[in-house]
Amino acid sequence: MLSIKNLEAGYGKVKVLHGINIDVPKGQVITLIGSNGAGKTTTMRAITGMIKPTAGEVTLGGEKIDGYDSHKIARLGLAHSPEGRRVFTTMSVTDNLLLGAFPRFTGSRPKGDIKHDLEKSLEMFPRLKERRNQLAGTLSGGEQQMLAMARAVMLNPEIILLDEPSMGLAPILVEEVFKIISNLKSQGVTMLLVEQFAAAALNVADYGYVLENGKIATHGPAAKLKDDPAVKAAYLGGAGGH
Amino acid sequence: MDMFAQILSSGIAVGMIYAVIAFGFQLTFATSGTLNFGQGEALMLGALVGLTCVDTFGMNYWVMIPVVCIFGMIQGSFVELIGVRPAIKIKSEFGWIMSTIALGIIFKNVAENIWGRDALPFPSPLPMEPMNFLGANILPMEILVVVGALVMMLLVEFFNRKTIYGKAVVATANDRDAAGLMGINTSMVITFSYALSSLTAAFAGVLIAPLTLTGATMGGALGLKAFAVAIIGGLSSGMGIIVGGLILGIVETATGFYISTGYKDVPGLILLLLVLAYKPSGLFGKSAIKKV
Amino acid sequence: MMKLKSLLPLLIAIVGLFCLPLFVHNPYYIHLAETILIYTILLFGLDIVVGYVGQVSLGHAALFGIGSYTAGVLYFHFGWTIWGTIPASIVVTAIFGGILALPALKVIGPYLAMVTLAFGTIAQILINEMTWMTEGPLGIKIPKPDLMGIPMTKAEYFWMVSAILIISLIVVDRFVKSQMGRAFEALRDSPIACDCMGVSVYRFKVIAFVISAGFAGLAGCLYSYSEQYISPNTYNNELAVLFLLGIIMGGRKSRLGAAIGAAIIVLLPKLLDDINLFRIVASIIAIVVVVGAGLALSKQVTTARRVAVPIAGVVGLAIFSFWLNSISDWRLSIFGFMILLVVYYLQNGIVGFAKTFYQSIVGKAKTTRGEAAEQVDDSISFISKVANLNTGAELLKVDSLLMQFGGLKALNNVDLSVKRGTIHGLIGPNGSGKSTMMNVLTGIYVPTAGNVLYAGESVVGKTSSDIALSGIARTFQNVQLFGEMTAIQNILVGLHHTFKSNMVEIALHLPRYKKEEAEAHARALALLKFVGLDDLANEEARNLPYGKQRLLEIARALALDPELLLLDEPAAGLTAPDIKELLSIIRKIRDNGITFILIEHHMDVVMSVCDTVSVLDFGQKIAEGKPAEVQANEKVIHAYLGT
Repeated sequence: MLSIKNLEAGYGKVKVLHGINIDVPKGQVITLIGSNGAGKTTTMRAITGMIKPTAGEVTLGGEKIDGYDSHKIARLGLAHSPEGRRVFTTMSVTDNLLLGAFPRFTGSRPKGDIKHDLEKSLEMFPRLKERRNQLAGTLSGGEQQMLAMARAVMLNPEIILLDEPSMGLAPILVEEVFKIISNLKSQGVTMLLVEQFAAAALNVADYGYVLENGKIATHGPAAKLKDDPAVKAAYLGGAGGH
Repeated sequence: MDMFAQILSSGIAVGMIYAVIAFGFQLTFATSGTLNFGQGEALMLGALVGLTCVDTFGMNYWVMIPVVCIFGMIQGSFVELIGVRPAIKIKSEFGWIMSTIALGIIFKNVAENIWGRDALPFPSPLPMEPMNFLGANILPMEILVVVGALVMMLLVEFFNRKTIYGKAVVATANDRDAAGLMGINTSMVITFSYALSSLTAAFAGVLIAPLTLTGATMGGALGLKAFAVAIIGGLSSGMGIIVGGLILGIVETATGFYISTGYKDVPGLILLLLVLAYKPSGLFGKSAIKKV
Repeated sequence: MMKLKSLLPLLIAIVGLFCLPLFVHNPYYIHLAETILIYTILLFGLDIVVGYVGQVSLGHAALFGIGSYTAGVLYFHFGWTIWGTIPASIVVTAIFGGILALPALKVIGPYLAMVTLAFGTIAQILINEMTWMTEGPLGIKIPKPDLMGIPMTKAEYFWMVSAILIISLIVVDRFVKSQMGRAFEALRDSPIACDCMGVSVYRFKVIAFVISAGFAGLAGCLYSYSEQYISPNTYNNELAVLFLLGIIMGGRKSRLGAAIGAAIIVLLPKLLDDINLFRIVASIIAIVVVVGAGLALSKQVTTARRVAVPIAGVVGLAIFSFWLNSISDWRLSIFGFMILLVVYYLQNGIVGFAKTFYQSIVGKAKTTRGEAAEQVDDSISFISKVANLNTGAELLKVDSLLMQFGGLKALNNVDLSVKRGTIHGLIGPNGSGKSTMMNVLTGIYVPTAGNVLYAGESVVGKTSSDIALSGIARTFQNVQLFGEMTAIQNILVGLHHTFKSNMVEIALHLPRYKKEEAEAHARALALLKFVGLDDLANEEARNLPYGKQRLLEIARALALDPELLLLDEPAAGLTAPDIKELLSIIRKIRDNGITFILIEHHMDVVMSVCDTVSVLDFGQKIAEGKPAEVQANEKVIHAYLGT
């Protein structure tokens, strides 16, 4: 579904990614974990067109999308729930969800039944249903995260990219969020999950990549990575440091 | 009491014009963080094109309005394409400030050469006899100005709230990157907001033209005062602009009457300076939090 | 320090100016040259705001007018002579410059431009309306000034203006090369870092406007005697835009640029009045640009796409000039068109363009400025020792700190105690409040509740600038260097607090100023050497590799003579060998008794160098203690890794 080869990217003079390779097969949940500063968000931004990669290739469903603008990539069916949620704070929950389906309104993506999908989303996220007319800026962090994910689902996408959904959330909310991710997984949604919370991510994913200093340090089936001491070391520095 | 009512009614009409132009500033500032220093010239061109339609082509005033609006959209898109887009690309604030100023100067000069330097009268679609209301003489045209301005702003509000394209514009204003992630072509949204901004200015131009004289110089002072209104009201608040416009319009008319017409423009500008000195986000706006 | 090479152009100019009235007898041309000189003085002043502080000012025509009218009114009502009106014009206009600066303090960019535009409009209206003082639209007639009882001849006045120009040139040059010029540029490049380096943004904005206005007032005064008649409608917004065009087109931050710009805006309208002359000039320019573009293309310095528009523009202009019979009506469009061209294709003005063009043809790539690398004086102690001061005593105390933004509690009841001479680490997941803490400690945010005590005194409510000067220095998570300034200039801004000399001392290069400049320079070099950047001293900060930029920020912070140094993710983006160097630098600084608060994500950095570590999560402190303890703490592991 989504394939990343030898991706290099950075900001101005700072090169953050030094050639990474990731494969997201259809119907699977792949996770990208790593400590802060490792380059996870940069990877997401490079895939979704928020920054342009300096080298390497990103392919979505066979089409090369590296270098495309964000809106073009979204119209090809890649939904992104960005780091920090980035919901439209001055608009209502319902409007946010409708905007998630924007390409369906304009015909860039198959229209389907938008109203029906809207109601379905609200059923899946009961907290949002209660607040459907509330301004997104007044929602709590956890609710905004749900909104960002529901918004991504509204695209009827080929793949969803989730960027640090747990960031800034209390543990109990993190649990809820990951329950929803499991739910989506059981519906066959393809996802690339970027997380700082390795444990929760590896619980829900099929396969994992560990990012360290802009390179893939190790990768493997999620179950195996969970018990890998190298993963722990990458986060907290082990005894003896680096 | 009569005088008070007169000042009030004239002030409201003037104030609404400022508000409509200021509205245009808000549109582009919200979506792109830029504004058109030549906004006054957009109004001026709208008025002159309208004059040509009505005088030379014999068009009916009401038919002329949509024609001028389309002209405004084209003019606005031109300004964005030539003046603003290249500057946003190279992230130069200095760039779009200077280039919109430059385009404003060019438009004014072109207007001078096409329509001449004299101020021309604009035929009024409504009778010019003032009506008497609560002791004030109100021209029907003045009422049209207020109604027209409100209708225009309401239409845009309706567009923003009820249509998906309008929501896309609001989303771009709220968070440009996230809007892009939704599949919204934000560059086009910005061009559109400039087109809409010039449309409202051109529309304001044909509204106010019958009340004053139309000429190449009518834009300059209007643009600056509209900016004052946008700042005073707060660049992020629609309500604030109407309040700001009314305040400015009334204060100005009062100054013109009680002190002298020469000093008319001064209080508004001083108010602008005061607001910028103490609450740059405007009376109704929200202060931004610094992020380091 | 003026070497003969740089003095030569100045000497040629002086000789040329002196000779001009001797060889040219037509008063029209002398008057033209005189106007160019006067505009040059004004552009020197405008350049401070536009070139150095980097803002758009549409108010300088008004300031010019205030200068003219001060002279006019003082002559007309009180009979003052030029020897009185010149200083009066400078002072009065400078005061108005200060008034203009007040609403401009908190704003930048388009807002500031609007402030200047509003100011300019008000000033013109007032001059026009206050007829009891200014004679309004009638204007004021002013004769040439007297020299020993007889009115000056045209030549004598010209020489006087020339002399004043040369003096202005020297004074401006000295100002912008001093700590004041550096403060202006720092203001432009990063106002936040500027404040945190002890250079108050408000203060220097006012100073910039005041000085700029002073020059405008001087120019205005000289203009009155040159024109011998002044009226309000001269000083309008068009003139203000013209001044801007002049300085941008000539070249910012350049005295020669100001002169070229002045010449352009004076001669251009004359050129446009004569259609035949204009046709010739337009054609020449078109040919020059096409040939130049061809040369550049052949050397592959640029692409066809980039030169397409300028070529189309100048060729179109030449054709346009042949089509019309008179071009003076289109004067303003030409100006507007030139502004567009300059803004996108000639950003560094003619002077800048000539420099780059010359270098690209000759083949030298030059991003360095200033003299060649100098020898570092190793004997200088560049870090003030704060040792012997109660190592272990509490230096910083944060008491029940609450920082709330709307509904979000970024810092929730946080206590912190930092002991002198220690390196105190501050860690936590993203969004835990670490950078917010930094910003509260340096005065960027005012806490919602709670207290911050530095050496026993509360710093809550103090400005960033004052906090910096009292001994707390910092670096930033997203590097906030003064990008367009060189590495050594960045450090010199940090050393701003060591300069006590005032404007007079700078203008006259008095001994105290020269000593301060030399000492600061030497110390800056020593600081650069300390972080290993002495060979890059004259390189523009934005061109340095990322790792070196971070080290430069630390060196700049050291220049403040801090007792407490706050480092915000200093190791971010550094390679392993860079990190080793960073750690050794941090240790050396600590050995001088300086206390650290270190925000970091690189655990190995935190573990190897911190004495104490505090852990934040969701704005609250969840653990504190020695690094190894914290590393093994359950709560910490949970906060970072999840269950």
